[in-house]
Amino acid sequence: MILQELEVTPEELERWTGWELKPEGLCKADRCVPFPDGSATDGLVDVTVVAERLGMPLVHDDLHELWALGPEAGDRVLASAELPPIVLADVDGRPFDLASLRGEKVLIAAWASW
Amino acid sequence: MALPVWRQLRTELHPQGLEIVTVALDLEVDAARSWIERSGAQHPQLVDTAHKLDELLGVVNVPSALWVDENGVIVRPPHTAAVERYDFSKLKAPEGLPDDLDAHIRDMLEQVKRIPRFDADHYVEALRDWVEHGAASAYALSPDEVVRRSAPRPPAVAEAAAEFELGQYLHHAGHVDDARAHFRAAHRLQPENWTYKRNAWELVSPGIQGPTDFYDGDWLSDIKAAGPEHYYTRPDF
Repeated sequence: MILQELEVTPEELERWTGWELKPEGLCKADRCVPFPDGSATDGLVDVTVVAERLGMPLVHDDLHELWALGPEAGDRVLASAELPPIVLADVDGRPFDLASLRGEKVLIAAWASW
Repeated sequence: MALPVWRQLRTELHPQGLEIVTVALDLEVDAARSWIERSGAQHPQLVDTAHKLDELLGVVNVPSALWVDENGVIVRPPHTAAVERYDFSKLKAPEGLPDDLDAHIRDMLEQVKRIPRFDADHYVEALRDWVEHGAASAYALSPDEVVRRSAPRPPAVAEAAAEFELGQYLHHAGHVDDARAHFRAAHRLQPENWTYKRNAWELVSPGIQGPTDFYDGDWLSDIKAAGPEHYYTRPDF
């Protein structure tokens, strides 16, 4: 997730990472991680605290004042066998949601021109 | 290039309920465009210009594939997808190259010949078995096994994904030079990820992905260091 500021709304955080801010902390599926009071003020969440709590790398580009919040570090890339939400475009830029293929078996094949 | 094989398999297995989606891990859409437009495929053909499949699913090389059932549950996490039948034993460098390039390409071909090839027929039989029998197929894994067999994501791999994301963002925003520091960081953090490396090298050294001032590694040096026998993970079918 690319960020221009280190404060985001809870809605943005959930849309981008799947983690929802609840009274008991940051929650995703059946897991909740305590979130310290004061890290969400004026309706904004401090991304540096999110990164630290969830084990996400936060890397910076000094020249362009940009950050990228990476995925949660941990044991395995897949936390569950459910295909995560993935939307990719075709060569004409038309978005295609892999979830639209529910009801069929799907083989996703990665290749490259290089 | 496996696209013709995927097209054939889709023609054969689509009537039995299999869809195929091909995804080009290409920073530049135009690099993949002619392959896609010539493929004649009826299935969705997408381009992952941010290498999201690496971050989200653990893809580190191509060709890779994963299988997903009718409910959106992965039954085979990303694995080396051996669908092509190769004979690299007679590979030769083109005639008439300058001496230094000729030597480099000969050296590359020697490494290519040592990359292990896997049993394409067995892979396709496994795929047919899953399409026919679904969850009852011996090749469909349980959710726990899918998670267990997915790629590890220690902090360096998570950080590599974030660096690559910054790099591709800057690249697509027109800051091609500024993107390279982040691509280089991703290479250092996750050296086993060939998609991060090869796509970046290709942009500065098309065709041979040779040494440049921009990156610490190159195809020939890195494959020698890793050992060509480790270039692909053996699919466990």
